[in-house]
Amino acid sequence: MAIVLRVVTERCNGCGNCEMACAFVHAQGTRPAQPRIQVLGRHASPGPGTPVLCLQCDEPACLEVCPSQALSRDETTGAIRLNEARCIRCRSCVAACPFGNVAWDAARHVVVKCDLCGGDPQCARFCPTGALLSSRTGILTCP
Amino acid sequence: MPTLRVDGVRVTVPAGATVLAAARAAGAEIPTLCHHEGLEPWGGCRLCLVEISKPGWTGEGKIVTSCNYPAEDGLVVRTSGERVVATRRVVVDLLLARCPGTPLVQRLAREHGIEEASYEVNPEPTDCVLCGLCTRACDRMGVSAIASVSRGASRAIAPPFNQPPPDCIGCLACAEVCPTGHIAWSEADGRRTIWGRVFEMQRCEGCGRPHLTAAQAGWARARGAAEQDLRLCDACKREQLARTLRAVSRGETVAAQAAAS
Amino acid sequence: MRIESGGAFEAHRRRVAEARVARRKTVLVCCGTGCLANGSAAVLDAFATRLTARGLNAELGVFVKKTGCHGCCQRGPLVVVEPGGTLYTKVQPRDVAEIVEKSIEHDETVTRLLYTDRKAGACTCQGDVPFYKHQTRIALRNIGRLDPRDIDDAIAHGAYAGLVRAVGHMTPEQVIDEVERSGLRGRGGAGFPTARKWRACRTAPGDRRFVVCNGDEGDPGAFKDRSLMEGDPHAIIEGMTIGAFAVGAHEGFIYVRDEYPLAVSTLTTAIGQARDRGLLGTNILGSGFDFDLRLSRGGGAFVCGESSALMRSIEGKVGEPRAKYVHATTRGLFDCPTVLNNVETWSVVGQIIHRGGEWFARLGTPLSKGTKAFSLVGKVANTGLVEVPMGTSLRTIVEEVGGGVLDGRPLKAVQTGGPSGGCVPESLLDLPVDYERLTEAGSMMGSGGLIVMDDRTCMVEVARYFLRFLTEESCGKCTPCREGLKQLLAIYEGIVAGRGRPGDVERIRTLAEGIRLGSLCELGRSAVNPLLSTLRYFGEEYRAHIERRACPAGTCRELTAYEIVHDGHPGRSAGVNGKRRGARAVQRPCNGCHVCVAACPVGAIAGERKRPHTIDQERCIGCGACYDACRVGAIRFFPKSERVAADADAAC
Repeated sequence: MAIVLRVVTERCNGCGNCEMACAFVHAQGTRPAQPRIQVLGRHASPGPGTPVLCLQCDEPACLEVCPSQALSRDETTGAIRLNEARCIRCRSCVAACPFGNVAWDAARHVVVKCDLCGGDPQCARFCPTGALLSSRTGILTCP
Repeated sequence: MPTLRVDGVRVTVPAGATVLAAARAAGAEIPTLCHHEGLEPWGGCRLCLVEISKPGWTGEGKIVTSCNYPAEDGLVVRTSGERVVATRRVVVDLLLARCPGTPLVQRLAREHGIEEASYEVNPEPTDCVLCGLCTRACDRMGVSAIASVSRGASRAIAPPFNQPPPDCIGCLACAEVCPTGHIAWSEADGRRTIWGRVFEMQRCEGCGRPHLTAAQAGWARARGAAEQDLRLCDACKREQLARTLRAVSRGETVAAQAAAS
Repeated sequence: MRIESGGAFEAHRRRVAEARVARRKTVLVCCGTGCLANGSAAVLDAFATRLTARGLNAELGVFVKKTGCHGCCQRGPLVVVEPGGTLYTKVQPRDVAEIVEKSIEHDETVTRLLYTDRKAGACTCQGDVPFYKHQTRIALRNIGRLDPRDIDDAIAHGAYAGLVRAVGHMTPEQVIDEVERSGLRGRGGAGFPTARKWRACRTAPGDRRFVVCNGDEGDPGAFKDRSLMEGDPHAIIEGMTIGAFAVGAHEGFIYVRDEYPLAVSTLTTAIGQARDRGLLGTNILGSGFDFDLRLSRGGGAFVCGESSALMRSIEGKVGEPRAKYVHATTRGLFDCPTVLNNVETWSVVGQIIHRGGEWFARLGTPLSKGTKAFSLVGKVANTGLVEVPMGTSLRTIVEEVGGGVLDGRPLKAVQTGGPSGGCVPESLLDLPVDYERLTEAGSMMGSGGLIVMDDRTCMVEVARYFLRFLTEESCGKCTPCREGLKQLLAIYEGIVAGRGRPGDVERIRTLAEGIRLGSLCELGRSAVNPLLSTLRYFGEEYRAHIERRACPAGTCRELTAYEIVHDGHPGRSAGVNGKRRGARAVQRPCNGCHVCVAACPVGAIAGERKRPHTIDQERCIGCGACYDACRVGAIRFFPKSERVAADADAAC
């Protein structure tokens, strides 16, 4: 049963709670991580923000190019997960992702991408407006 | 699913796992330098030595490297027996003599109770511990631009003939996996330099920021990455995705389909 | 001409063998590497020219054969005249005419060229020469007797008879059982039971299997594999084909170092001829069994003699050992089940199958069966290639086969097993040579090098020598071997140069233990054997070097001074040269014969003829050439430190 994380763009108010939640849940010690989710287009229409994050593609380009099998599909969540211990930091996945959702954290020298928080995406939990909705069933209903 | 005993702790690991994985799963601390889970076991640094025995064995246990010894059912592993600790200490001591100024090696030495090297200190100190991670990463990329050259104490890592390596794609994986930061590289003014080779960076067609070398792009294309995905940097690709998502929410379906494809 | 069946082979064998029996005279000229270096090619040419000039040729039943190494390299170039086996030593082209006249045209012998020593006198027949008399040759059975470039000559001498039996009358299991009955163990040094290795490979899962011959003999001073490859290549091909049949392999490699050009060319020719005869290739002898062999030429790295490095080298990769805990019999060459055996192991397989395992097992000791070939070198009268039954004592090998220590000097130790082996002291010389005894003595069988050392051999220097060799040959992949050997060498270089420090021996022991337990491959693990064995038996010499700055053997130049004795009563009791012929160590005063003056490379010796000479200590470099040259024993050596102390006293 895969996790589906749905983005309802028009509900986003650009508050950035999702980025914050992501940064802290992936923090190493006291140091927040580079968030895997980013709120873009705060000044575009419709505003005031557009959250972008990994689409967990059916045929992931990142997984395809990885030379060390550091990326794999998590059987329970359906997320494409990065095994940092296997990653040789060639950043081919960063180049290959069509959506820019695999990024390089220059401070920690690691590749970062959304892992759906192991099944309970914290961005959705902390989204005050319901712009991010996570579901276990794969069938979503808009409240 | 073999079950083994590590320092008295029973642990079951998936078939094909190594003793190192089993020992770490059992909570044992084993130092490693040349081990990387994404690369072939190498067994070169000799830090991960453990003592193994099997039921029915007589005499002393066998000293093996845990990074490449298969976890077999019924194996009894001791990670800090006297002989193991003594041997590991010699290895660390020797590394300290080779790399007296390398923080990682200094830390290892401290952890093994070595204040200063017991042996003749390298007159030409280096940070290279010859763990072979860089060459294995490069081999894993399928590039093999660098390799070990010479042998014995003069062994070193180098590009062919110590010239800028023609096969290098400038991906920096070698520098990134190096545990001591020995492999130098630099990036400025749209140029990346590593192993003496200068790469003209390909600039993002969106923001103009240099984001990867042409050779890296070629490497990714050869492995199925789409040409258009390599033209933009990841930030600009996210911007593009954001624009697409907004278009969808405005009811414009054409861009959404394009993005999804 | 292809031989299609076992029956056809037998007919062919009988034909070529009978043709040889009918020969009136055959001249066997040793063209092994040792004799070639001594000019045997010119001797061979001289025979061809002389025989033509005398009108003697094949039609008249006179043949000249270019053979592999006869073994007694010290006395080369060697020539044997058959029938009768008359052995001529140190033959020069100018001797050829006389040999042709006396030994070929008539049945006389050229007495002056016969092997002679004090004990045995002049030996007419090769078999009477003590060097050969005490040997039992199985691996070396035909070396020196056949032309390695003529497969029919090999067949006439019994080659491929084992193969005919194996593929024609036995199942693969029966072949392995026969090898098991023979008790054959790997001749590469480790002594793993051959049959067990074959069986493991046969039963390992996989569709593709390999047999590989390790011809990467790299120990300093070892040449038995080289001689086997150069002198009897068909024995190796036959053994490998039988092995392949037993384990179910269809492909094989002979890994030979490229520094052995003669072996490479001989093997290449032999493989081609075996293919032409249908003894390699498809449907061998009509049995339906296919097998072919290829040569893989190594670049000469010592570490490539290690099995995993050797296989990587054949695969075209860097010849470095691979850390793995899966046997090659399960995953070896190209990750397929592989049997890797040494040249000598393969060479005896044909005989074991032909004559039966029990025949082989009758020789040797309970755990080490058969015979073992050695390269006997060092300070021994007859250096060369020898093969003796397992269990023969080192003393027999040195004294009987080797003719004793050169110049009658006292024997100090025998080094076995090359750089991975150790030194067996004189007191243990009655040790029967087999795998277990040598290991217990702190040495090992190794690939069969036997280096004889006399009293003029410094054991610390011996250890340093091997250490230096291995430091240079270490691939550098693993830390203990790469860094540890380098550090050990630094310590040893300090000791032999008089810079030894207290605690050096402990440092050596700690490092040696770390290297032994921690190294990746056998090169590193066994690299410390020369150190440990010399420490074990000659610890006193280490102490002398470190504590007293003295080299008891008088060979460490930095520590040793020489002087010429004028009164015949040396005041100090250091080394005394006595030219111990007849086991007497007598020191006599200098008679002014001037030999040392000529021997000194730096002109440090002065003196009138018939008057006692003196050595200019300032110019003397301590090489010991005068000491070794002096015929009366008028030169003695002593620790340089004593001279320095004496000089200091004089200055006061």
